[in-house]
Amino acid sequence: MINGITKILTSNSLNNITSNTNSQVMMETTLKAIGRPGFILIDKDIDDDTKKYAAAKEFLYQATCLLVYVALVVPVFKKGTFKLAQKLFKPEEIGKFKSSKQYEHYLKLCDTTLNNRQKTIEKEIRGVYKTDENGNKVRRLVRDEYDSSIIDELNKEKPNKFPILKGAVEFGNIVGSVFGLAIFAPQVSHLFIHPALNALGLDSHKNAQTSQDDKHLID
Amino acid sequence: MNTTLLDKFRKICLKLGENNKPTYVVMSIAAVKGICRPTFTMMDKKEEPKTKKYTAIREGLTELIAIPVYWLLGEGSAKLANKFLPEELKAKGAKNCMLIGVCAAALVVIPGLCSLAIKPLMDKFYHNRKGTLAEKFDKISSTPEIKSKSVPQPVYTPVSRPSMQSFAGVRAYKSYGMKAGGV
Repeated sequence: MINGITKILTSNSLNNITSNTNSQVMMETTLKAIGRPGFILIDKDIDDDTKKYAAAKEFLYQATCLLVYVALVVPVFKKGTFKLAQKLFKPEEIGKFKSSKQYEHYLKLCDTTLNNRQKTIEKEIRGVYKTDENGNKVRRLVRDEYDSSIIDELNKEKPNKFPILKGAVEFGNIVGSVFGLAIFAPQVSHLFIHPALNALGLDSHKNAQTSQDDKHLID
Repeated sequence: MNTTLLDKFRKICLKLGENNKPTYVVMSIAAVKGICRPTFTMMDKKEEPKTKKYTAIREGLTELIAIPVYWLLGEGSAKLANKFLPEELKAKGAKNCMLIGVCAAALVVIPGLCSLAIKPLMDKFYHNRKGTLAEKFDKISSTPEIKSKSVPQPVYTPVSRPSMQSFAGVRAYKSYGMKAGGV
């Protein structure tokens, strides 16, 4: 049992989530979307209609946050900071990568053993072709996607992970998360939540809740 | 970009690249939310000022509770992992445990603490706060009570008066008010 727990705690998949800000934020927002409405529904001091209204509102708010985050913040800030890092830092500090996606793939390769890594590099990529010296159409290899300096790194026992580039991407993700979840998503959810609650037939309870809040102030 | 600024940015990036703790992002989101959400609520023109103030304080308090809880659970679970995991797995396991701690905070601890602590806090803030305007202007309750002298009430003896019912049996009474010489 202890071995099982240790395996889960030190697993590579969990480590991949931990080292990526986007996955962390998405996981946290999903848990909030479950936990907060759940606790509202458990509360015994509130009447049923208000509970339903508040729980639905909270769930919709967190769901909107998640959607906004995935649709807008992740692509914009991730790509933006990757390009900014390419402009600001020297190629030897951040490596010669074409895109943030390629860098992510490189990081995954770095986490594997040297033997597995070398095998992966020599694999063919499905559906992507190139023409060789004789003019024949042949499949492109993973190796062809990377710059020669990066291939040299991958052939080392401990390849350079280019922490400055990783940090720059994570910095962008943190700034994007803060902007997206604390500033942008509340504005979007404000526009979206009331029509959604109306469609669910829950918006009529708003007045009841507001008057309850007011009662708190007047009492 | 300015060289010193670029150096600072490089240092931040290097630190984040080497060790990006899960607590950094959740704490920064909570801090900015704690400032922005109440501000947006107070800017809402549709709501009544009292309701706005109440909601803004409530939102601010939620995030104020969230920040230390994220930090405590994140760092605490990492330290716990460091105690029990073997040496070679400590670095990886501690970071993963930190994420689990943060997730537990988001799923159970923060909503639970908020539902336990916020309502009593708000009640205290709004109902039992000392020195409120209501208390300052409450002159009636602070005025000393003056005892009035007791005055003896005069005793009245009821006077018996003849009522019209006492003529019920008299015939002349029944024809009272009829035409003169009436038949």
